[in-house]
Amino acid sequence: MSRFLNFDTLSLHAGQVVDPEFGARAAPIYQTTSYVFPDTDTASSIFNLERGGHAYSRITNPTVGVLEQRVAALEGGSAAVCTSSGMAATFCAITAILGQGDHIVASTQMYGGNISLMKNTLPRFGITTTFFDPTDVNACREAIQDNTKLIYGELIGNPGLDILDLEAIAAIGEEHNIPFMVDATFNTPYLCRCFDYGANVTVHSLTKWMGGHGVAIGGVIVDGGNFDWGTSGKYPTITEPYAPFSGINLWEEFGPSAFATRIRAEAMRDIGPSMSPMNAFLLLQGIETLSLRMDKHMANTMELLDYLSDHEQVSWVNHPSLPSHSSHELAKKYLPKGAGSIVSFGVKGGREAGKAFIENCELASHLANVGDAKTLVIHPATTTHSRIDADALAAAGITEDMVRLSVGLEDVADIKADFNNGFRAAKRFA
Amino acid sequence: MHFEVNGKQVFATTGGKPFDNSRPVVIFLHGSGFDHTVWNLQSRFFAFRNYAVLALDLPGHTHSEGPPLESIESMADWLNDVVNALDNISLVAHSQGCLVALEFGSRYPERLRSMSLVTSGLATPVNDVLLGAAKEDPEAAIAMMTGWGFGPAGHLHQGPIPGNSMVTGGTKVMRGNTPDALAADLNACNSYRNGKQAAPRIRCPVQVIVAGKDRMTPRKATDELIAHLHKPEVAVIPESGHIVPQEAPNQCRALLRQFIFSNSPAT
Repeated sequence: MSRFLNFDTLSLHAGQVVDPEFGARAAPIYQTTSYVFPDTDTASSIFNLERGGHAYSRITNPTVGVLEQRVAALEGGSAAVCTSSGMAATFCAITAILGQGDHIVASTQMYGGNISLMKNTLPRFGITTTFFDPTDVNACREAIQDNTKLIYGELIGNPGLDILDLEAIAAIGEEHNIPFMVDATFNTPYLCRCFDYGANVTVHSLTKWMGGHGVAIGGVIVDGGNFDWGTSGKYPTITEPYAPFSGINLWEEFGPSAFATRIRAEAMRDIGPSMSPMNAFLLLQGIETLSLRMDKHMANTMELLDYLSDHEQVSWVNHPSLPSHSSHELAKKYLPKGAGSIVSFGVKGGREAGKAFIENCELASHLANVGDAKTLVIHPATTTHSRIDADALAAAGITEDMVRLSVGLEDVADIKADFNNGFRAAKRFA
Repeated sequence: MHFEVNGKQVFATTGGKPFDNSRPVVIFLHGSGFDHTVWNLQSRFFAFRNYAVLALDLPGHTHSEGPPLESIESMADWLNDVVNALDNISLVAHSQGCLVALEFGSRYPERLRSMSLVTSGLATPVNDVLLGAAKEDPEAAIAMMTGWGFGPAGHLHQGPIPGNSMVTGGTKVMRGNTPDALAADLNACNSYRNGKQAAPRIRCPVQVIVAGKDRMTPRKATDELIAHLHKPEVAVIPESGHIVPQEAPNQCRALLRQFIFSNSPAT
């Protein structure tokens, strides 16, 4: 093996050492809290970060480790840390480098949980956020303050689906020596590897397309290993001695994986949002078929875009693959295999028509998730984004008639037939 | 820590402990295009067992000021300037660092207590494609270095540190050097011809660690090195590729520990 392995091969093999005792081909589920040390010297070495190894499953676990290394491989990152959920990943990634008095510049078009975290929760810890319109790169630049320590966004904005101009935003980050963190849940590394365009950290909800099956909650932080934490002096949690580990300087000792090591050493130990080995195993099963599933997601999405665009009861359809979308050119640049399988559209007749449509779909499931193998529909204004105020709702591009569709892997003819039922029920409100 | 050598800033990690030159000294040298972090699973271990550790960045690599040095001989003399008044050194070197160690050991034999050479020959000829790429297309050269350098475990993104991909980490380290560092390193290796004369002049005990799946150092070249050294201790790590300190860190550390603890015990 002297050449770099390709995406599909890494999806199946990366990170796994075949079980040396029994030869199990699948990654075993190491359902254990702790690990027997062969001697005290080995134990102290592991605790002191002198050697790799496992001490306690809150911090590391062999099954979770396979998943971490697999995602790092797929993303082109130097290291990854899995967490109990995508939101835990976001929180741990932010608090690894920001504290009291620090500031974030973040896109307005993000998952409601991300917006709430930055708008409501982080200010309680002294971390404030200025939000910018992701279609306006200058707005990002103008939002930067002396205390800004992070630029944050989603490549495919939720739910407006505007595409973040990764290279332009990364250039702003580089100019100001600020890391650029991307929530890459909607694109997955199959559709876009954000590090190739200058992002420094990605976070994912693995619950969505990466797992794909909708049976396990999980998140991951991937360290791009491409940010200079040292020059600016603004990131002491990475570059100054860390007392709990004998004053270790993570930047000096771990270089391109210093950020991930900080999360491992602090967040996983002191906060403890660890992923269970069982969930790691389930998520690994999903990732094995990531490219196959994403191709089918994209094929079904394109068929449904045609169907919805031509439907007389649809007032508008929003997807970056459509030439009418303001981010169409950026989508072609960053997402040539497809701009994700989330589609939003308006049902003629407004709120009541949207409600009737959703309630009369039988195949498509009405629930608060995306990226499942099954087709999902939801009304964002009353569910995922219901706890954000009217201004933020408008800023996020959400309207009352909006239906958000997460296109699944069913036979697309069956999805269309199901939608026909929904539209028939909605017709009386049109 | 940073310190000044010949008017230039030099970086070395001390393994997480203040450098105390009253203790036995262990110095780690990296290979072409890499930096001190290649040794992070060995250097910290020795620092926390009463050794004074310096894992260096060569000039132009990561935290050390450039320009990069252009010959193995100049690197050996630079190392002598770095160690200054230190003696009884246990020198641990990987790949290109081994050539520097051979040259240093032949020029300044009285300074060494022991020498550990990890994946090396007496010389390191570099093929023209890689030399050309290092000059014209550094990204392609980095891909060749990591592609050939890492063995199967590296390419499968396995590794002893949970969550870390050593092959990607190595790529990022090489990208972080000054742009001409890799080309300078490879040219220095390719031009070095003094190994046959240098090796027999080394007086201290020498350990040679060989990787069974090393595609960058032909076994014949390692055998030639072994033949020119005075009774070296030789150990083979069968499953590792060329980047032994990262691919087989536990075996590598165990071998270094046994050798250095016995030749230069710390109290």
